[in-house]
Amino acid sequence: MAKKAKNKSKVDPITLSVVRGILETTQREMTLSLEKTARSSVFNLAHDYSTALFNGEPEMILQGQDIPIHLGSLIPAMKVVAAYFGDDIHEGDLILHNDPAYGGSHAIDVCFYKPVFYGGKLRYWTVCKGHLTDIGGPVPAGYNPNAKEIYEECLRIPPVKIWDKGKPRKDVLNMILTNMRARRDQEGDFNALIGACQVGERNLINLIEKYGMDEVDACIAELLSMADQHMRSLIATVPDGKYTGTAVLEDAGHGFGDIDITATVTIKKDTCHIEIASPPQIPYFINSYEGNSYSGVYLGLMMYAQLPPPYNEGLYRCVSVDMGPSGTLCNAKEPAPHMNCTTTPMETLTDAVRLAFEHAMPSKVSASWGHSNGLNITGWDNRHDEEYVTMVLASMISGAGATPQQDGWHACGPQCCFGALTSGDVELLEYSYPIIIHKYSLMEDSGGAGKYRGGSGTAWEVEPLDAEMTFITFGEGRHIPAMGAAGAKSTLVDKKVGHIEVKHKGKIKIIRENVIDSIQPGDTVTNMNPGGGGYGNPFEREIPKVVDDVKNGLVSIKGAAGDYGVVFENAKTLKVDAVATEKLRAKSIAA
Amino acid sequence: MRMKYRLGVDAGGTFTDFVLAEQNGEIKLFKTPSTPSDPREAIQTGLELISEDIGESIEEIISNCDLCINGTTVGLNALIQHTGAKTGLICTAGHEDSIEIRLGHKEDGYRYDPDYPPATMLVPRYLRKGIRERVISDGSVKTPLNEADVRTACRLFKKEGVESVAISFVWSVLYPEHERRAAEIVREILPEVILTVGSELYPQIREYTRTSTAITNAYLAPILRNYVESVDKYFANLGAKYPVRYFQSNGGLAIGAVMADRSVYAINSGPASAPQAGLYVAEPFNSKNVITVDMGGTSFDITLTKDGVTNLNKDIDFLRYRIGVPMIQVETLGAGGGSIGHIDEMGLMQMGPQSAGADPGPACYSNGGELPTVTDANLVLGYLSPEGLIGGRLPLDLDKARQAIKTHLADPLGISVEHAAFGMYTIVNNNMVNGIRRVSVERGYDPRDFVFVGAGGATAAHITALASEMGVKTVILNKLASGLCAFGQIISDVKYNFMATCPVRLDSSAPNKRINKFFKELEAKGRKHLLADGFKTPQIDVKRSIEMRYVGQMHECTVEIGNFEINDKTIEDVKTAFHKRHEELYTYSEPHNFVEVVNVECTLYGRIEKPNPLKLSRGAKVEKALKNHRKAIFSANGKETKTPVYDGDKLGAGAQITGPAIIEETTTSIVVQSGWTAKLDKSGSYVLTHKQKK
Repeated sequence: MAKKAKNKSKVDPITLSVVRGILETTQREMTLSLEKTARSSVFNLAHDYSTALFNGEPEMILQGQDIPIHLGSLIPAMKVVAAYFGDDIHEGDLILHNDPAYGGSHAIDVCFYKPVFYGGKLRYWTVCKGHLTDIGGPVPAGYNPNAKEIYEECLRIPPVKIWDKGKPRKDVLNMILTNMRARRDQEGDFNALIGACQVGERNLINLIEKYGMDEVDACIAELLSMADQHMRSLIATVPDGKYTGTAVLEDAGHGFGDIDITATVTIKKDTCHIEIASPPQIPYFINSYEGNSYSGVYLGLMMYAQLPPPYNEGLYRCVSVDMGPSGTLCNAKEPAPHMNCTTTPMETLTDAVRLAFEHAMPSKVSASWGHSNGLNITGWDNRHDEEYVTMVLASMISGAGATPQQDGWHACGPQCCFGALTSGDVELLEYSYPIIIHKYSLMEDSGGAGKYRGGSGTAWEVEPLDAEMTFITFGEGRHIPAMGAAGAKSTLVDKKVGHIEVKHKGKIKIIRENVIDSIQPGDTVTNMNPGGGGYGNPFEREIPKVVDDVKNGLVSIKGAAGDYGVVFENAKTLKVDAVATEKLRAKSIAA
Repeated sequence: MRMKYRLGVDAGGTFTDFVLAEQNGEIKLFKTPSTPSDPREAIQTGLELISEDIGESIEEIISNCDLCINGTTVGLNALIQHTGAKTGLICTAGHEDSIEIRLGHKEDGYRYDPDYPPATMLVPRYLRKGIRERVISDGSVKTPLNEADVRTACRLFKKEGVESVAISFVWSVLYPEHERRAAEIVREILPEVILTVGSELYPQIREYTRTSTAITNAYLAPILRNYVESVDKYFANLGAKYPVRYFQSNGGLAIGAVMADRSVYAINSGPASAPQAGLYVAEPFNSKNVITVDMGGTSFDITLTKDGVTNLNKDIDFLRYRIGVPMIQVETLGAGGGSIGHIDEMGLMQMGPQSAGADPGPACYSNGGELPTVTDANLVLGYLSPEGLIGGRLPLDLDKARQAIKTHLADPLGISVEHAAFGMYTIVNNNMVNGIRRVSVERGYDPRDFVFVGAGGATAAHITALASEMGVKTVILNKLASGLCAFGQIISDVKYNFMATCPVRLDSSAPNKRINKFFKELEAKGRKHLLADGFKTPQIDVKRSIEMRYVGQMHECTVEIGNFEINDKTIEDVKTAFHKRHEELYTYSEPHNFVEVVNVECTLYGRIEKPNPLKLSRGAKVEKALKNHRKAIFSANGKETKTPVYDGDKLGAGAQITGPAIIEETTTSIVVQSGWTAKLDKSGSYVLTHKQKK
C-alpha cells in the first residue's frame, strides 16, 4: 500500500523536495568548510560545533547532523541575539556571542551569526558555533572546578558586532583575542567559523536567485509545518498521561551531595509538555542556563523520537518546556558558574526525560549512555617553545546504551555527543601536543549488563613528554553507572563507572572528583570511562554471546557469573557448565 | 599498439564487460553475466563470444594481445560479504582496540537510530595482540621491541589457524625497525601466512588509518593472491605473451604480484577507470577538465579531473573501513535507472536510494516489479522507446509504468501522472547535481569550468538536464558510453603510489634537505619497480605532491608540485601554492601564519601506448536517420512535445541535430533537450553544446 501524503500544500511538491535538498547541501558545505579549516582539536576532531540556517523570524530552518549538545541551544540564542540588535541589523554585519545569560550554551562555545540580505531586506541567518580550546579566565581550557561565580571562569561576550556593515572591527576582535590563550589557534577558529557562515550565505543567495524569494519562503514554511506534523504524529502514539522520570546527579566533589533532577512529561493527544524540577543553583561549575538545558531536554525527546536528519524548529512546535524557576540548577541565572554544563548536568537532565519516556513507551526507548568524565590538559611545549592547552576528547569516550534491538556500541559516547564526536588519532595527538598516549582501549566488564549489553567504555592513559603537565578533570559518572532499561541490572557496578588513576613512582592514586592537578614525565594519568546501560534482564542474554564476550576480553569470568549467571567448567577452553548456569539463572529469576 | 589486439575484462556486480581494441581503431564491446563464485567462468564465456564474433580461436586472440587487462571485484565482494581470510594483528600494547573504537564515532545520519549495527570487525579482539614496544613522536625508541611478545602472538595465531597477519605499531612510520624485526619473527614461526607491514603499505602519519588499512589488506590478500594466480595461469595457458595487468582503485594498472601484496588497492577499482576514459574521449576537443557521470541500473558514479589530474581520496571510510591509500574519488549515489520513487515519513517525494535492481526491476519490465522507478518515469516522459531497450530485446510496458507512478506517487500527492513522472526525473537529477557538487564545489572547483562525459546506459537521458542545471556548456557522449569503464582500463597506465611521512614546520630552511631526500628516495624506489616490470626510462613519469596545512589544523590540503629541488626560494612557491589551494577550498587563506608539511608522495607512471583512435566516416544526410516522431514531456506542466527520434547507427561523422530530439543508440537513448545541439564527431562521440545566451 502506498503511503498517503500527509499534506496537501500550496507549494509544488517537486520544488519542495528540490529546495530541501539544496538547503541540506548548503548546511553540509558549511560543516565541511568548518571541519577542514578549524584549529581547535575540539572542533576539527571532535565535531563539537554546529551549523544552522534560520529564516528572518528567526526560526531554525535547518540544523545539521551535528552534536546533540547544540540541539536545542542554538534556537533560543538566535532569538536573543536578533532581539538584542532589533532594527540595528544591516547588510555586512557579523555578530559574535558566547554568553549563557544571552541564550548561549557554555561560554567556551562561541557563535557567529551572519544576517543574509537580499533585495535590501534581512531574509536569513547563517549560524556557526564551535568549542574553542580556550576562552580566557583563570584556568586554561575554561573549566574551573574552583569557580564560585561565572566571573571566575571566562571572558563573557554578549552579542557584539565584529563586522559592521562589512567593515571588520579589528579593535573589538583584538580585545577579545587578547584575552585568550593560544591566540593563533583561536584566531584560526574564528576564521573557520566566519568562512563557513559565508559559504552558507553564498548558497542561500543562489537559491533565492534561482527560485525566487516567495517560492523559497513558501517551501521553508512548508518544511517547518511538515516537521511539526511529523513530531505530532509520533507524540500521538504515546498514550495520554503524565510520566515522571527522576535521575540522580552524583556529587563530583562539590560537597552539596547528590542532586535529583526530575522531568514530568505530560502527553495530551499530539502535544507534549515537559516540566523540569531541579534544586537551587550551587556555587560550582555545573549550573545550566536555560539555553543549554533545552539541548538536554531535546536529546531526551530524541531518544524517544529517534528521528533521522534533517532537523528544524517545526519539530518542537508541539513541545512546550518549563525549565523550572529561575535560579535553579537547570535554569540558572547570574552569577552561577556553568562551564561544565554541556555534559554535567545536561546528561542527567537527558536521563530524566529519557526515563519519563521509557515509562510511557517501555519497548521503544534505549538505555542511557555513559556520561562524560573528561580531561583538559595544559603545559609548556618545549618542542616549539609555546604554551599548549586542549580538551582531550579521546580521554572521555564512553559506551553507548543498549537498544531494544541490539547491544550498545562500544566507545561511542559520551551521551551528550551520541557518537557525533571523533576522538583524534593517537599519532596526531602526540604530534600536536607533547604527550605519550600509552593506552587507548576498551575496558573489561564496563558495559552495563543486560539481555543486550551496554557498550564498553574506554581507558586513556597519558604521560607528559618532557615537562610538567597540568590536568583538569570534569564531568561525573564515577559513582553512578549509566541507567539501564527494561529491567537491566549490573552486579559488578564498580566496573561500570568511570574514575581517574594517577601513577607516580609505582603508587596509584584514584580520583573521583573534579580537580586541578599536575604530573611529571614518568608519571601517568589514566582516564577510565563508563560503559553504556544494558537493556533487559541480563540472565536472559544468550549464552553464546556471553562466551564470545569472555573470549574477546569484554566480560571477565567473574563478570559472566555475576552479571550474566554464566558459569564455566573450564576457564581456558571456555566450556560452559550448563547445569550450574541453569541453576544460577533460575535462582536469580526466582528472586 | 604493437600487436593486433588489446583486451579488457571488467567484472562488475551484474555484468562482466569485455572490450577488444583492434589495430585499425575499431573497438568492440561484449557483455556476459558475472559469475562471482568463480570469476573465470564469466571470462571463459566472454572469450567464447568474442571468438565467435571475429572468427578466431581464443588462443589466437590472446596470443595476439599486447595486453590483457582485468578489473576485478573479488576483493570488493570479500569485503562486502566479510568472507576474507582469518587475520591476526600485531600492534603496540595498549592500542589493540583502535580499529574497534573507530575514533569514538558513529556515522552521520544514524545518530538516534537504535538499529544501526556497529561495523563488523575484520580481526576479532582476541586475535589483536599487543606487543611491548614504543616509538615516540620524534622517532626515538622509548621501549625496545619485546620479541617474546611477538613469539607468543605467533603461537596463538598458529593455534587459531590464522592465514594472514598485519603488523602495525605506533609511529612505525618514523622508525620502521620494530615492524621489520617483528616481521622476521612472524616469517620464521609462521612461514605460510601472508604478511602485511603497516609502514611498508601505508607509510603515513595516523595510526588508526594505517592499522585499519593494513588489516583490510591482510584480510583480502590471500583471496587476491589465489585469484591473481589462477587468472595469470589461465591467460598464460592461452598463450598470452605478456603478464595480465590488473586495474587498481588508484586509477592505474599493476602486475599480479603487486596486486597480491597490495590487495587493498583492488577494492573499488570498477569505477576508477572512468577519469582515464573521460580524458581520452574529451581529448579531441582539447579539454582536460572533465567530470564523468556514470548512471547504471542501481547507482550513479561521479569523478572529477582538473587539468588532467583526477581527484583522489585518502583516509576515508570505505564500506565502513578506514582506508588510507589513495583511491580515485568516486562519489556513488543510489540513483540509477532502478531507483525507486517513494513518499518519505515527512510526506516528501524522494528518489532512491532503494533500487528495484535487475530483479524485479522497474515496473515497465513486466517482471513483477510494482514500484515506480526512474526508468518508468523516463518511459512515461517519452525519453525511452516504447519498443524497448537494447534494440527491442528488452520490451517495456508503458501502462505498467503509468500505473506504478499513479498508485504510489501521483494519487497520494494529488497530481497528474505526467507531473509526478517529471517530478521523479527532476528530483533524481537534483540528487545527482548535489552529488556532483561533492566532487566539484566541495573540492574548490567550479563545475562550469568542466565538460561532462557520460558513461553507463541510463546517463544519456539525464545528462543535458544536469548540465543545464549546473551551467555546464559541453557534454560528450561516446558511442561506447555504456562500456566506458572497461574501455578506460585498456587505455590506462601502470601506476604506483609511494608515500612517506615527514611532519615538519616550515619555519626555517632546515626541513628542505629532508623533503628533498624523501622525494628522491621515493622516486628511486618507484623507478626500480617499473624498470623491473620492463619499462624503459623514457616511459616513466613521476608526479610529486605534498600534503600541507596551517599549524594546528588536523586536515591536510594536497598540493601538486613540479619535480624541482626544494630550496629557500622554491619552498616559497610551494607555500604560495598551498595558500592558493586553501583559499579555493575554504574561501580564505592565512599567508602570515605557519605552514607545516605532513606527508610527501611520488606517483610513478609506466606509460602504456594508447590504442589507435577510431575514425568514423561521414554518413548520409541526417534526415535519412530519422526514425519517427514521439511525444515527449519536457516540463512540469506535462505538455507533450512532438519530438523527432533518430537512429544513431545511421548517423555519420559531422551529423548535427538540434533539440528537442532523441537519438537512439543500441545501448542508450540520448535526450537532446531544447537549447542543446548534438554533433557527431569522427572520434565516435556526440558533442552536445548549449546555445550561449547573448
